[in-house]
Amino acid sequence: MRRIDDSPMQTNSGLSSRQRLSIFLTVALLMALSATLLISRPATVAHGQSSGCGSNPCPTDPGPRPLPADAGAFYSALTTNQNAITTRLTQIFTEVNFVAGGPLVKTVGLGPRFNSNSCNSCHAYPAVGGSSSPTNPLFGIYQLMGATNTMPYFITTNGPTMVARFPYLSDGVTPDGSVHQMFTISNRTDAPGCTQEVQPNFTQAQSTNDIIFRQVTPTYGVGLMELIPETSILANMNANLPLKATLGITGHPNQSDDGTIARFGWKAQHKSMITFSGEAYTVEEGVSDEAFPSENDETYPTCLPPFPVAPGTNKTKGVPDDRNDTGEAPKVGVNFPGDLERFSLFMRFLQPPTPVAPTTSTTNGLAVFNSVGCNLCHNVSFTSSPSSIAALSNQTATLYSDLLVHDMGPGLADNVTQGAASGDEFRTAPLWGIGQRQFFLHDARTNNIVTAIEDHYSLGNGIYPASEANAVITNFNNLPTTVGTDGNTQAQDLINFLRSL
Amino acid sequence: MTNIKGTAMSLWTKMNRVQAQLSKHKWLKSILPLALLLLLAAGATTYLPKSVKGGTCTPSPCPTATDPGPRPLPATAGGFLGTLSANEVQIEPSITAEFDRVHDVVVTSPTDGGLGPVFNANSCQTCHAYPAAGGSSPPSNPLFNVYQYNGASNSMPFFETSTGPILEARFINQPGTTIPDGNVHQLFTIQGRADAPGCTLAQPNFNQASTEGNLVLRQVTPTYGDGLIEVVRNIAIIDNMNSNLTEKASLGITGHPNYSGNDGSIQRFGWKAQVRSTLLMSALQMNVEMGVTNETYPTEINQTAGCLFNPVPETVTNFTPGILTEMFPGDYSRTEYFIQWLNPPTPGPSSSATKNGKTQFTNAGCVYCHTTSFTTPHTSRPALDSITISLYSDLIVHHMGPGLADGLPQGGAGPDEFRTSPLWGIGQRLWFLHDGRTANIVTAIEDHYSVANTSYVQSEANQTVVNFNNLSKTNQQDLVDFLRSL
Repeated sequence: MRRIDDSPMQTNSGLSSRQRLSIFLTVALLMALSATLLISRPATVAHGQSSGCGSNPCPTDPGPRPLPADAGAFYSALTTNQNAITTRLTQIFTEVNFVAGGPLVKTVGLGPRFNSNSCNSCHAYPAVGGSSSPTNPLFGIYQLMGATNTMPYFITTNGPTMVARFPYLSDGVTPDGSVHQMFTISNRTDAPGCTQEVQPNFTQAQSTNDIIFRQVTPTYGVGLMELIPETSILANMNANLPLKATLGITGHPNQSDDGTIARFGWKAQHKSMITFSGEAYTVEEGVSDEAFPSENDETYPTCLPPFPVAPGTNKTKGVPDDRNDTGEAPKVGVNFPGDLERFSLFMRFLQPPTPVAPTTSTTNGLAVFNSVGCNLCHNVSFTSSPSSIAALSNQTATLYSDLLVHDMGPGLADNVTQGAASGDEFRTAPLWGIGQRQFFLHDARTNNIVTAIEDHYSLGNGIYPASEANAVITNFNNLPTTVGTDGNTQAQDLINFLRSL
Repeated sequence: MTNIKGTAMSLWTKMNRVQAQLSKHKWLKSILPLALLLLLAAGATTYLPKSVKGGTCTPSPCPTATDPGPRPLPATAGGFLGTLSANEVQIEPSITAEFDRVHDVVVTSPTDGGLGPVFNANSCQTCHAYPAAGGSSPPSNPLFNVYQYNGASNSMPFFETSTGPILEARFINQPGTTIPDGNVHQLFTIQGRADAPGCTLAQPNFNQASTEGNLVLRQVTPTYGDGLIEVVRNIAIIDNMNSNLTEKASLGITGHPNYSGNDGSIQRFGWKAQVRSTLLMSALQMNVEMGVTNETYPTEINQTAGCLFNPVPETVTNFTPGILTEMFPGDYSRTEYFIQWLNPPTPGPSSSATKNGKTQFTNAGCVYCHTTSFTTPHTSRPALDSITISLYSDLIVHHMGPGLADGLPQGGAGPDEFRTSPLWGIGQRLWFLHDGRTANIVTAIEDHYSVANTSYVQSEANQTVVNFNNLSKTNQQDLVDFLRSL
């Protein structure tokens, strides 16, 4: 939904023109300086090629490990009763939602606006629950059922699945930050009468530099991440402080509205799988639910339920499109609780990705990962709390994240503030499973893991401070160029280690 | 903060005590008329707004109306929507039991336990109590039965009184720093409880926070009708905000929604409209108020070693087949349905006075924030479908001036902004305004007035309060009587 607000909170209109000029000059100077320094950085390259390291032997990305998937299984330690519902959980996660008149019991509620019509279309690779697949699934969705959508310029057939956010409202000043869905249900045959919804003008947003992208985050192992004790996250934050200070690493938690640490999403803006699923269902698919019981665009009554559908077919009567069937026999066994709870259980029951067996190179690579300082943010592991879900209780989660947000510099900054995470701060992305990952960084700007590392480097400008990763990237780039007994440089060992995860 | 010591309900309690004593000591009968007279005099003083006591009023002229006090029991709120389906009605006992459940520390069954390590109360119903389950503070503060229950070694924070409102505490900044805090700091801990052996955990230092000006108090909001409020369309709220702009401009009224940072929809619940839905509200409250972790908020707020007695989350979906109506899904879903299915309060009978009062409510300008009604859209739950709800709120937040500002921003609501409180049910409400500062509804109206200072702009209600004070004595009293009829 577009935010309409006739009384913006506060705008910094108190600056004199002289102050503005001096800020402008400072920014311009810093930008010129950054541009000069950028020249010395490795160029963005496709995987399989070397990055621009001059005459040194440069590490190369071997590319994603091929299928079969090393992720996507449920925990073997689920109880009999939990195991008994996993088939149905998978069915719900993979079901395709229609606007109305769907063939199954609970597959309606899509739109008025949407990015996709199923959880599984985006959370797809290397198995259900993951992230973007090599072939973009949106091309099979955007004009489904007669919809008249055009494909936004930033979605390509072999590119990542992404969502668009506009950092600012049309005035270019007032913060927006919300997702602007790519597609609408206009003219779909299952939305009879709905013709007026229009897609956002992404090209115009691009021309005013008011658009940012976020790719899909995988959901394997999130049940353990939910249950990592806050005391562990804070103890890790406060460990190795002299070393972190030397490298310029700080970081802080993003906070949930109950005062505890939020963990999910690119800016750690979500507390739990319930709020994550609740938001995704209404934001990504337009299926309103009990956590967020509004349709995502209420402008046109003809595009809101109930839709006229043939007798005997399924329809949504109104908000929320999805809810627990509270004792509505005889459907209770099938449809209770609602999709929101079942998505959460599905993701919570997915075990973490399985790394490949260590080799000499990957074992060396882990040592290099630690020695250059990657692990100071990409913290190797935490242990989950004792849990009422036995399969999740006291488990080691080797996720390679500190679950904190860090300043990543102007190079990665997306100008969107979410909770305590500011425009240039991002959660340390967990690295488990990146061995089979197709695209990297929040906006999926590269499929080359070496480039992804280099893009952690960014000098400060007048708006944002330097990336906290700068010294670590410098360490990485300064690794000795000699080839070790395993036939690889230390940098290559590190890359091989990452692609083993 | 509470200027008026003798509240309506302390008077009510005193009278009950006198009557109880009468049955034991017949000689007291001789002084009963005198005692009653004294109490009546005390009562009259109680119901004079505080601004009158000083002889001058801000704004001038002084209000002439008096608060007739809360309507007596029986409750005209509570109970479920009459249009629930037969299957929904079937689970009413289980959701009521969940709302009433007293939580101990140790989880002994899938629906039990989980209290603490820190908490404000041990049951939803403790605080959401009056005039019926789901409501707000009762006449006698129930926390006095909770704080040392089962051997707990808590002391009672200075701002809780035995016949005052239940108040929870938030800190503006983290203690001893200038780092923004804003979180609830729970009144009590489980230290000393028989079911929490070995736990050592001190209460927050509320006296120090108060001395440092760092303490914010909030009273309980009632939940009646919340299931209807949550489905009102955002666009209806926006359209109402953009209506009558000329009148609003002349009165100085603006206001804006507090948007959800998640889906961009308009949040509606809590003193600053900081919560979106009954699901999120019930899950949040379970963890924040009682310390019961759940699938939406699975982390203990305080993780002091030696004080953690249960695996988390403490309430979890019950996977046992065939028990759906009793135990499934988790506790927070059942409390969600309890508050989602409660009827709105029923107003008292209207009279010519209350009818005129409603007209004056409009004339003075109250209605430009306290919007008379919204209509729910088509909903998937038939009991909530297309119903006109007379809640008397625009569901957006407004600047209320330094006099009410609590210094605490929440989402899009600034430190001096509050959601327009729904007025349905205030006929039986015992305390008013976010911090429960008064039991007198005329004082509550007057306290909407506040001139600007260096920190905050003036209250958007100022001109409306001036208009109220300038109403004729009859019109003013009718307006107050109208409010007490809700």
